[in-house]
Amino acid sequence: MNIISIRDIRKVYHIGTEKVVALGRISLSVAQGEICCILGTSGSGKSTLLNIMAGLERPSRGNVVIGGTDVTRYNEKQWALFRQKNIGFIFQSYDLLPTMTALENVAMPLAFRGMDKEIRTRKAVKMLRAVRLGNRMLHRPTQMSGGQQQRVGIARAFVARPRLIFADEPTGNLDSKTGREVMELMVSMARKYRETLIIVTHDPEIAKYAGRVIKIHDGSKISDERNTEAMGTKEES
Amino acid sequence: MKFRDMISMSFANLFHRRVRTVLTVMGVVIGTCAIIVMLSLGFGMRQSMEDLMKSMGDLTVITVYGSGSDSSEGLDDSALKDLRKLPEAAAITPVYFLDSSCVAVNCRKYQFQGMIYGVAMDTLEKFGYEAETGSLPESDFKNTDILFGSQSAYSFCDTSRKSNNYVEPIPNKNGELPKPFVDLTKNRFTLSVNLPEDSTARNKEEKLRVLGTLKEDFSRNPSPSSCIFMDYAYAKELREKYNKLNKVKGSSDFYDQIILKMNSIDVVPEAVQKITDLGYQSYSMESQRNEVEKQLRTVQLILGGLGAISLLVAALGITNTMVMSIYERTREIGIIKVLGCVVWNIRAMFLMEAGAIGFLGGAAGIGISYGISAFLNSLAAQMSASGGGGIFAMGGKISIIPIWLIFGSIAFSTLIGIISGILPANRAMKISALTAIKQE
Ligand SMILES: Nc1ncnc2c1ncn2[C@@H]1O[C@H](COP(=O)(O)OP(=O)(O)O)[C@@H](O)[C@H]1O
Ligand SMILES: [Mg+2]
Repeated sequence: MNIISIRDIRKVYHIGTEKVVALGRISLSVAQGEICCILGTSGSGKSTLLNIMAGLERPSRGNVVIGGTDVTRYNEKQWALFRQKNIGFIFQSYDLLPTMTALENVAMPLAFRGMDKEIRTRKAVKMLRAVRLGNRMLHRPTQMSGGQQQRVGIARAFVARPRLIFADEPTGNLDSKTGREVMELMVSMARKYRETLIIVTHDPEIAKYAGRVIKIHDGSKISDERNTEAMGTKEES
Repeated sequence: MKFRDMISMSFANLFHRRVRTVLTVMGVVIGTCAIIVMLSLGFGMRQSMEDLMKSMGDLTVITVYGSGSDSSEGLDDSALKDLRKLPEAAAITPVYFLDSSCVAVNCRKYQFQGMIYGVAMDTLEKFGYEAETGSLPESDFKNTDILFGSQSAYSFCDTSRKSNNYVEPIPNKNGELPKPFVDLTKNRFTLSVNLPEDSTARNKEEKLRVLGTLKEDFSRNPSPSSCIFMDYAYAKELREKYNKLNKVKGSSDFYDQIILKMNSIDVVPEAVQKITDLGYQSYSMESQRNEVEKQLRTVQLILGGLGAISLLVAALGITNTMVMSIYERTREIGIIKVLGCVVWNIRAMFLMEAGAIGFLGGAAGIGISYGISAFLNSLAAQMSASGGGGIFAMGGKISIIPIWLIFGSIAFSTLIGIISGILPANRAMKISALTAIKQE
């Protein structure tokens, strides 16, 4: 069953009188539990596509359906409430709140939902242990390395058990070794919790971790392939 | 999002930027102090004015004068009857002035030189006069019953001497007053109506009975000092007799004043109005006080306004701080929006931050204001002890902070904080999540 499907998405930016077509007609569907990578060079429209799927940006044309609901015409408030329940995010620059500890950062999306502090702390502790940061819970972002911060970011995306997790260049700010570690962690977490993961990257190395790779170029889909030998799969079986 | 979580997030932000928070709070502290201290000076001024007024006269008393150029014209028995109809009056008395040119009160060779007031003797107690010796008359008293003022003994003149014929009530080195010529309670006093100088007729002398002496009290009118109080009807009769014997033309029917004691201060303005409507002129401490109060209110408004200006500056400081904070946190705000924080939560958190700055500033401001107020009061106490200080320091406080001002100023500064936060909060609310996360 498809958790998300987009149809005939088009996005045009107007800069003065000039038109920039960021996305030509793109359609794709992602099934529940799939780990999917959107691969393309810089400026190819990957981020635009991801932002449209996450409701941060409106498409010029086309529809977005998540979990059977057409969310294309949702307003900002509806999207916020929808994201609380259904969508997790991992950012390139981690974006943890500097005023909070790792534990508080992870628990934050649950706080937005109005969950009790006791329950959300328990869930956040569990998530931090899953990303192997059980000994860093009370550290603040400035007291952690980039890799550790991104692991906190992963825990934060998974903690609310959303139906979809988006990651835009999650390893973009990390060295290649740490990047690989983070990718392995992310992929194994997604398998463990049976989450649908959509990763945007320009790096073909990263794409090797995904079970499906969608290549886009100049705003158009140029290929959509299954990768039966995705890295990290062996560890699970 | 839970209220508690919003509060803790707001405070985490304030704490995270503590230097800036402290500086902004300090602005509010100064503003709050300015308002509280200014207002407290106003309250102090009001209090000393009120004390001063009270020492000057009874606020529930109205004194009525006649209308016309001769101020006693019109205050006859029918006026008295009119005024007796005022329902709120607890007591009423006419005052008939009689001086020593008209009648002579004698004790051996000593003659009384003070004023004689004809009053309704049985109302004195209600007007608040107190007896120093003897007692105030109740219902049954005779024409010749009199009361002396506290200083009346020194108002007797030795008629056998041309000079040095008074005993002055000036204390000697030991602080003792000299012995007057007469003893008001033990001696016998007589009264006679004065005759023309060329008259050969003999003065008819009446024996007086002294009921007692009155306690000194300068807040009363007439003040019971160097005088004699007697029944007004008898005083009028004496004047009539004098006029006849001395062939003086003119009526003896008019009272100099009619004095009313009201049930409470509240009914005074209304009664004054009614008296004016009846065509009489009147004077009351209450209406005086109203005048002073009006002026004090203006002064207080100016003082409060000065304080308010500094709080306004502080409010701009809060707005500025919050706007700065939004610029710095644009990306953060975008992130929490992407993570599912709804916009009204974001607005609420910003308002809380601004409100907290106002609240903290107000609370600290009150503490500091108390210090300043205590300092000013001790300064005033020192000044009044050394003789200076004027009306601000009649032994009292020049700065008074009422309890309601404490709660009022905390609530006010918090409100100011929240109001200063509205614009930045709306701005934060409108930040687009997308532009925020695209920003580096
Ligand atoms: N807000 C915008 N206004 C105008 N053009 C934009 C805007 N955002 C993106 N673009 C353009 O859209 C294209 C796709 O951008 P983006 O999705 O960020 O690419 P990628 O993430 O693949 O590097 C680029 O050509 C970019 O210049
Ligand atoms: Mg991009």
